[in-house]
Amino acid sequence: MRSLPLITSLAWRNLWRNKRRTMVILFAMVLGVWAMIVTAAFMRGMAIQMLDDTVNNLTGHIQIHHKNYLDDPVIENSFFGNDTALLNTLKLPDIIHWSSRIRVPAVISSERETRGVVLLAIEPEAEANISFLKNAITEGQYFSSNDENGIIIGKKLAQNLETRLGKRVVVMSQNTKNEIADSGYRISGIYDTSGEGMETDFIFITKRAAEQLLDSTGLSSEIAVITRSLDTVLSVQKNLAAKNPELDIQDWSSLQPYTKLVVEMYSDFQYVWHLIVFLAMSFGIINTLLMTIYERTREFGLFQALGLKPGFILVQVWTEALFMLTIALFIGNFVSWLTVMTTGDGIDVSAFSQGMELAQMSNIIPFVILFEDLLLANIIVIALGLLTSLYPAWKASQLVPADAITRI
Amino acid sequence: MPQRAMLILLILLSLSLSAPVQAESAKQLIRQAIDNYRGITSYSEATMTIHRPDWERVMSMQAWTEGLDKSLVRITAPKKDKNGGTLLIADKMWSYAPKINRVIKIPASMSNQSWMGSDFSNNDIARADDIIDNYTHRIIDSRLQDRVKIFTIESVPHENAPVVWGKEIVTVTEDHVFLRHEFYDQDNILIKTLTADEIKLIDGKRISLRQRMQKNGRDNEWTEFYTTLIKFNIKHDKNTFTLANLRNPG
Repeated sequence: MRSLPLITSLAWRNLWRNKRRTMVILFAMVLGVWAMIVTAAFMRGMAIQMLDDTVNNLTGHIQIHHKNYLDDPVIENSFFGNDTALLNTLKLPDIIHWSSRIRVPAVISSERETRGVVLLAIEPEAEANISFLKNAITEGQYFSSNDENGIIIGKKLAQNLETRLGKRVVVMSQNTKNEIADSGYRISGIYDTSGEGMETDFIFITKRAAEQLLDSTGLSSEIAVITRSLDTVLSVQKNLAAKNPELDIQDWSSLQPYTKLVVEMYSDFQYVWHLIVFLAMSFGIINTLLMTIYERTREFGLFQALGLKPGFILVQVWTEALFMLTIALFIGNFVSWLTVMTTGDGIDVSAFSQGMELAQMSNIIPFVILFEDLLLANIIVIALGLLTSLYPAWKASQLVPADAITRI
Repeated sequence: MPQRAMLILLILLSLSLSAPVQAESAKQLIRQAIDNYRGITSYSEATMTIHRPDWERVMSMQAWTEGLDKSLVRITAPKKDKNGGTLLIADKMWSYAPKINRVIKIPASMSNQSWMGSDFSNNDIARADDIIDNYTHRIIDSRLQDRVKIFTIESVPHENAPVVWGKEIVTVTEDHVFLRHEFYDQDNILIKTLTADEIKLIDGKRISLRQRMQKNGRDNEWTEFYTTLIKFNIKHDKNTFTLANLRNPG
């Protein structure tokens, strides 16, 4: 232990003996660390954004349906959304917003085209709190009250129908008496989302307008619930399900298993990505260390001849590696932080926007650095770095003094 | 069927009798006209020609109607389509395809699709009965031609009417023969026109034998419906307008 200052100063000086080589390997390692952290942040951002979008895109955290609704989403499979007993169960401190909707298949026609869509009848005020619609209106206006008789459709659907704001369209669906119900509506708003699938699939009218069309007074197809945070979703869902056994109550992860899968995949893929980057990095580390040892063979022989134990040499080379790793991590973390800070909202991938829209992702993906991700990257680099540098260090300690001294 | 469309238009024409232009009385007159036609039955034979720039297709068919609510159309030629048909009862529509031996109820989602590949949509053929309540009718022009008074009526759908058109303009004679039906979009651009000519006196009624649906701006694409035989006030079999009859031509 008394030799610690000696070891560290020897290691430090040796590190800077060949400045250019050290700088090159440091650069490579910084690049590796940067790639690990920034990629992790990017994937985290993508996953979080995707989850946000899913929750925003009408899913909410929890949904309440009639038992048969998800199998057969028609108006018959609806429930009394105004039922006081049901509404009382929604009065939980963890539930911050909820909104009741009618959601049925429908057909929309303009003068030139007809499309199959999903008709959503919403309560404008409640819906504004929980879904994307209000903020996505690019032309016209969101419903100001439940009495409005307009219709809000997606931008892409408006294009497909060759219609526009202020024009009338005809919506057809099935009413509670099993008859065809149809009515004309004037387009009062057009929304634009990052996912084109949304735009062509969903049309919106007020719940009161739907009650006239479908003869569905008091009925709801679904209630979407937003909880205080993602962590409380499961407990709220269990609570609601226990109190309303006759209804089907599910959380986002079972309603949108694809999103759940992707979020988990992104998280797990980090490990794989870190290992790939580290593998590339480790060859650089081993190579550099082997090189320095090769250059200093005579020196190590001399050390040993003068009485230094092999263990000392091992620790000294190892310390050198540790310094290198620490510096690389320090700079790497800093550069990553700088990258994330300077990109602000995230990076703009609008060059690939068509593909991104197909995958229902936004054009701007934010970087999200989680402390656990940062820790993971750093631990991997330090731990595996020391492990790989063990081989050159051990090799240096195994030199036979007599051979080493005589080697040129 | 255009036959049915024709009947509806015949009704519209009765507006023409109502020289007073007030909407209320016009509406009442249409209602009376519908009541007039409620009892009428007919049997007709016709050919339908679907014309496209590079091909043309001719079908022959028979049609039975009873009032405005019931009609049955059956194809007699070409051979590959023989016995196929369409049955209309009120606003419900069924189609029979002999090749697969199935009767298919035409869902609302297909109502704007073409009827048997023609320029008529299922909607053109099936929906006509809401004509009283869904529109505001107005006589915009009347003139005398060959000693027959001809009226031009503009029908504008109500705000919440399940009608996609911006307006429809119908030209009819005073004795209930329609000559022209134009469909406009909401920017007042003409989308398609149904024209009728070859007006003949049959069973004491003047009717047009030839009707043509033409999409605006596509001169080489049209569907023409030519009535070769028509008889009114026929007594139909009880089971004429049934799914069984649609499926098993007697």
